Amino acid sequence: MTTKRLSIQRYLPEQSKTPFWQEFEVPFDDSTSILEALNHIKEDMDGSLSYRWSCRMAICGSCGVMVNGEPKLGCKSFLREYPGTISIEPLAHFPVQKDLIIDMEIFLEHLAAVQPYLINDSQDSNQTHKQTPAQLAKYLTFSDCINCGLCYSACPQFGLNPEFLGPAALTLAHRYNLDSRDQGKAQRMVQLNREEGVWTCTFVGYCSEVCPKSVDPAAAVNQGKVESAKDLLINLFKR
Amino acid sequence: MAKHVGYFPELKRNWWLKNRYFTLYMVREATVLPLVFFIACLLAGLYSLLQGQQSFQGWLQFMQNPITIVINLLALVASLFHAATFFTLFPRVMPLRVGGKAIPAKWIILGQWFGVLLVMVLFAWVFGRGV
Repeated sequence: MTTKRLSIQRYLPEQSKTPFWQEFEVPFDDSTSILEALNHIKEDMDGSLSYRWSCRMAICGSCGVMVNGEPKLGCKSFLREYPGTISIEPLAHFPVQKDLIIDMEIFLEHLAAVQPYLINDSQDSNQTHKQTPAQLAKYLTFSDCINCGLCYSACPQFGLNPEFLGPAALTLAHRYNLDSRDQGKAQRMVQLNREEGVWTCTFVGYCSEVCPKSVDPAAAVNQGKVESAKDLLINLFKR
Repeated sequence: MAKHVGYFPELKRNWWLKNRYFTLYMVREATVLPLVFFIACLLAGLYSLLQGQQSFQGWLQFMQNPITIVINLLALVASLFHAATFFTLFPRVMPLRVGGKAIPAKWIILGQWFGVLLVMVLFAWVFGRGV
C-alpha cells in the first residue's frame, strides 16, 4: 500500500511552551481524507495526538485545520490532492490549546454579538411566519454557514485585529437582516457600523475562496458596507 | 472551565508573501502608488499653467522624460488592473435585479468595461479634435 508523509504541528503545553513538528508515514488510497489520516495516526501510531472532529461529512464544521498553509476541513480534503509531504497546523489566527485544537472563544463571542436569530416582537409573532421563495432566495446562500471558522483563518484583518467581528459573524448578521421575517436590523446595524464591524474588511476575498460551503462571506460583508453607508445617510436626515 | 490560552502564533510582517492570494491582494492595493505619481503630475501641470508659459514648457519637458513616461504607463496598467479586480467584485457587492430577476454577473462586468470604452472614445474625440 502506498504511503504519504504527514508533518503535523504538535503543541503539548504540559511538556513545552513552544510547538514542534512531528512526521508520520500514513497509508492511503484515493478516498483517504486528512481527517481519516489523523484518525489512523491517533489509533495506530500516537494516541496523544489531539484534534476536533465529529460528522466526517462537512456538516459539523469541527475538523478545520491548515493543510499546507491553507484553511481546510479535514474531512473534505484528501491526501491524493497533495503531492509530497503534507503539513498540518491548527487553524491560523486563533490561540492554540493543544496540538490542532484552537480556542474558538473570540469567534463565538463575535457570533453572539450580531444576534444571529430572528428578532420579531410583532403581535402575531406566535403565528407561522410565511415566506415566499423569492424572499428566501435573498439570504439562502448566506444561511449555509456551518461555523467552522475557516474564513477567520483566511482573513488577515482578523489575524491583525481579533476584535474585528470577522467574515462569518458579519455574514450571519447580513443573513438575518435580509430575512423578511426579521425586525432586528436596527439592533444589528450598531455592531456592523462599528470600525470593528464591516469597515475593517478590505475585501481581500480569501474568506470566500476557502469557505467549504460556498457561502461567499466576502460578498455578504461588503453588502453590509452598502447597508452601513445607507444606515448612516438615513440617520443623518432623521436628526 | 478555566480560560486556557496556550500558544498564540503572531502574524508576522511578511504574512502577505506566504500566500499567493494575499500577494495578489497587496499588488491590487499597491496600484495606488503609481497613481499617486500620475495625480501629482496632473497637479504640477495645473500649478505650472498658472505660473506662466515658461513654467508650463518646463512641465511639458518633464512629462516627455522617458522615466516619467514609463511610470505613467505603469500607472495606466495599474489602474486597468485595479479596474479589472473592482469590476469582478462589483456584482458580488451590488447584485442587481431587474423585475425580480438577478442580472448575471458576466453582464455587469461587461457593462462596466463598456463604460470604460465609452469614456476612452469620448476623451479621444474631445482631445483628438484639435490635433
